[in-house]
Amino acid sequence: MELLGIIICGGAALACALLVILSKNTVHSALWMVGNCLALAVLFLFLNSQFIAILQVIVYAGAIMMFIIYAIMMLNQRQGFETDILKGLRSGRFVLLCLFMICLLGLGAGISPMALKGEMGPHAMAKFGEVDLIANYIFVQGIAAFELVSVLLTAAVVGAVFLARKD
Amino acid sequence: MNDYQSVYLALSVILFAVGALGVIVRKDAIVVFLCIEIMLGAVNLAFVVFSRANQSAEGLFMVMCIMAVAGAEAAIGLAIFVLLYRKTGTINIDKFNLLKW
Repeated sequence: MELLGIIICGGAALACALLVILSKNTVHSALWMVGNCLALAVLFLFLNSQFIAILQVIVYAGAIMMFIIYAIMMLNQRQGFETDILKGLRSGRFVLLCLFMICLLGLGAGISPMALKGEMGPHAMAKFGEVDLIANYIFVQGIAAFELVSVLLTAAVVGAVFLARKD
Repeated sequence: MNDYQSVYLALSVILFAVGALGVIVRKDAIVVFLCIEIMLGAVNLAFVVFSRANQSAEGLFMVMCIMAVAGAEAAIGLAIFVLLYRKTGTINIDKFNLLKW
């Protein structure tokens, strides 16, 4: 039963990703990307990560996609550019990409599987992904990275305002 | 307790490949940006799967950092697109070949 749900949501995510690439209209691409984000959020729920699923919906499907729709509106792009997918597949870049992916998969296959640690009982599984565990990690071990992320976001906002100012 | 980990990881690899393919075949800068977001989503999925396998919150913290980086990237990247559009009147990435050899 769980496998069926995973396959349905994964298929939806994959179909949305393909439609992002294949649709001619840029706005349609952005809307299919929202579908991809929502399907991934459901997969995160299947993985017992409720907090990450909610963040995925709020941050990706809400904030970032709103940014992108807004940028499309500013650029007034009704129609995307002509895409010749077959020509793209015959280019040298595609060969490089295939080589890169094959090397990556080989690297992954070469690494010996890591030993699983932590308790894997049903109780631990149910507690995994709850917000208190994540908060404990963030504010104890990850506090430096957390503060650096806030600096990064502030720098990004200042940079965006600087770039978009009137000359 | 395996919990279909290989299914999730296969989905993650395929989504990453689809995103990389889109970066190569599309010329529209905004669609290329969306494809980068697809790749980030695929990596998020892999992080959550491994984090659950290890029963540790490190992977979830990495996912949150990736989301923050994606937000910063969206803000800066879209500001750059608007700037390029104002200067050149197009966002076709084949037209920006000044640094290409």
